[in-house]
Amino acid sequence: MGTKLSQHNHDNAQDYTDVPSDPALRVKALESLLIEKGLVDPVALDVLVDTFENRVGPRNGAQVVARAWVDSAYKQRLLDDGTSAIAEFGYSGGQGEKLTVVENTPSVHNVLVCTLCSCYPWPVLGLPPTWYKSAAYRSRTVIDPRGVLSELGLDLPNDVEVRVWDSNATSRYFVLPERPKGTESTSEADLATLVTRDTMIGVAKVASPSLGGVS
Amino acid sequence: MNGIHDMGGMHGLGEIGYRENEPGFHEPWELRAYALVQAMGTGGLRSHIERISAADYLRMGYYERWFTALVSRTIETGVITLSEVESGRADPTSVKATTALTPADARELPFRTPQAEQDIELTPQFHVGDRVRGRNIHPTTYTRMPRYTRSKMGVVERDRGVFNLPDSEGVSADPKPQHVYLIRYTADELWGYEASTNSSLYIDMWEDYLEPA
Repeated sequence: MGTKLSQHNHDNAQDYTDVPSDPALRVKALESLLIEKGLVDPVALDVLVDTFENRVGPRNGAQVVARAWVDSAYKQRLLDDGTSAIAEFGYSGGQGEKLTVVENTPSVHNVLVCTLCSCYPWPVLGLPPTWYKSAAYRSRTVIDPRGVLSELGLDLPNDVEVRVWDSNATSRYFVLPERPKGTESTSEADLATLVTRDTMIGVAKVASPSLGGVS
Repeated sequence: MNGIHDMGGMHGLGEIGYRENEPGFHEPWELRAYALVQAMGTGGLRSHIERISAADYLRMGYYERWFTALVSRTIETGVITLSEVESGRADPTSVKATTALTPADARELPFRTPQAEQDIELTPQFHVGDRVRGRNIHPTTYTRMPRYTRSKMGVVERDRGVFNLPDSEGVSADPKPQHVYLIRYTADELWGYEASTNSSLYIDMWEDYLEPA
């Protein structure tokens, strides 16, 4: 069992990282090795993969946002203590301690980044998209937030304050986007369908349904 | 350390590659690697990611970095040997380990909220509204203080409570619990005349990263 990880001998672990090879094969080989050594239970791995694939994701966050839009008491709890407020939906987990919810308003726009790695509010948004983890997004969002947002299709007037949240520590951030106009009579369930992952990172606005989904 | 991972404010790092509503992963091996990392524990892995050489770091994708760090840590801690990694087979003389994570644990693990906050009473050195300056430090080991905050002046927005200093991980036996503060910096202070108009930046800073301004 086990695919050979490298065709070369190396003096130390660091050299190992220099060897280009198919990551899929290397992952499979390490998985086999760790299972053979009794360090990993293959059923536990399948459970984890299923969780990341199917049980978490931005639909969680969208439900939280829709609730906050229709229930002002919930919104206040969410802004006061994000971790407790998402737990009302049963959402919890790693990268969820000290969840801080930042509210977008007509005068303040919040956007999330992690310059040092890719910290992300996992319990409400799931795994981050590739662009959020890109070197360009991580490096530029702090020095040129308006430029980055504009490149991603969101032009903000200068009288709107832009707040950048660099998630470097234990706190994770989560953007409560603005409720779009024309949704006063829309149900909570329908509102949740309007909320995209990118609006909760703060690189887009929630589109008004009357605009046919164009933000 | 002043590594490539500390990239806030850099230019020339390519395209963002934005795709609307892009999924969190693209290939099955990525999730498999991530699950392996979770099953083996994430402790100390960021520090191993940061020790990947700059050229490799930029070439690798996110999941490949996690995977590389996992290999690096398991070898460093002696859990597996390099020859085992290279051959893909367990050393026949090694003792079979007891699996750390059972399927039942795996069902709970992703939903367990970590408790990093320390239940310790410490007198905070700073208070909401205080002006503080990032210390001009250049540790060669792990830190969560991005270099763009060094020597910059900000204002304390919130006291987050007491947390262990990440810089002490693997370096000091003392976890150095201390207050963490949410600090607001104006874009002008951080970036001078190049700054985005009417913008500010919020970031959590451990007390050791700050001095009175």
